[in-house]
Amino acid sequence: MDPLSSIALSHFLLTGAIIFCIGLIGFVTRRNMIIMFLCTEMMFQGVMLSLVAFSKYHLNFSGQTFVIFVLTVAAAEAALALGLVVLLFRKRKTLDALAWADMQG
Amino acid sequence: MHYPLYIATVIGAIALLLMMPRDKSTKWIFSLGAILGASAFAALLVYLYDKLPQTLGLSQGAWPYYYLFSFVAVSAAARVITHSKPVYAALWFILVILSTSGLFLTLNAEFMAMAMVIIYGGAILVTYMFVIMLASRSAEPTDDEDETPKYERVAKEPLIAVIAGFTLLSALLSVTYSDNHTRNQDALTIIAQANTQKTTIEKIQDANLQKSVDIKVSKQDKILNPTSTGVNNVHHVGHNLFNQHPLAIELAGVILLISLVGAIVIAKHHVEPENG
Repeated sequence: MDPLSSIALSHFLLTGAIIFCIGLIGFVTRRNMIIMFLCTEMMFQGVMLSLVAFSKYHLNFSGQTFVIFVLTVAAAEAALALGLVVLLFRKRKTLDALAWADMQG
Repeated sequence: MHYPLYIATVIGAIALLLMMPRDKSTKWIFSLGAILGASAFAALLVYLYDKLPQTLGLSQGAWPYYYLFSFVAVSAAARVITHSKPVYAALWFILVILSTSGLFLTLNAEFMAMAMVIIYGGAILVTYMFVIMLASRSAEPTDDEDETPKYERVAKEPLIAVIAGFTLLSALLSVTYSDNHTRNQDALTIIAQANTQKTTIEKIQDANLQKSVDIKVSKQDKILNPTSTGVNNVHHVGHNLFNQHPLAIELAGVILLISLVGAIVIAKHHVEPENG
């Protein structure tokens, strides 16, 4: 297996960065709480792509191992966040994040 | 300096701003934004294609798939954050996952690609779809014939968000495409040349013992090219995971246990719906 050349690496980092930033923009602009957490998952995707590209660049499998841990954290986050969203939905009968704007004080 | 990178970033920002859902949804603004964004990303890829060296480090014929999958991933990601129906946004997100695992396949990370499809596309997205279905009955009154509530159709603060996000993107790109990489590339080619010279010298020295040279080359090949000896990606990832990160495995187990406990506590908590 050949190491990835650095210009090819920067191509993969470009795609990862674009996916990360689109996820960030989505997290800020969307008002549906479920889609907001979907956008955090999309930011994870961009980071994972960068990790795997670096793993191939250095020929070191720790990058791919860390993707497993990112997956673990994503699964834990999905379970907790969706539980909270369902709880908030049962309270106010809406998924609008701005319905909870009074919490910002 | 790569000025076309920043120009493409600005055009992409404008395109995403046009694609954002707004109150009086006009189809042609969205289409204009989609065409603008697609052409900006395509022009960016074409511009970067000129900068490619001969040696990529990817397997044979894998490079066109990078363009295919990254284009699909970025356009599907843009659609996730602009679609006004949550179920469709989740479906577009599955497309993002599939194309990301395609990119993993071009990077010879077969195990991670399959794990992404199974865990993300199979488990996490099904959970999301389940919650979207469960919580879709909104009590908010809908004003017109469109059955989606207003908070789905109007983005909040699209201008500031797009400016912030694309400023971050251009900062990341200016780091990624700084000129240090060309120097690294030179170092890599020097190392490769030294390796080839080394093997030539060894061959001359052991010209009489062709067999021993073959053994040496195969040994070197075993070190440099692990996939050729029947040790595949899964073996490497597993070896790395259990040999070098034993503490992290324990911590991941603790994270999963705590989230399990937390999810049970949250689910058992009974709430009364408040009026108003």
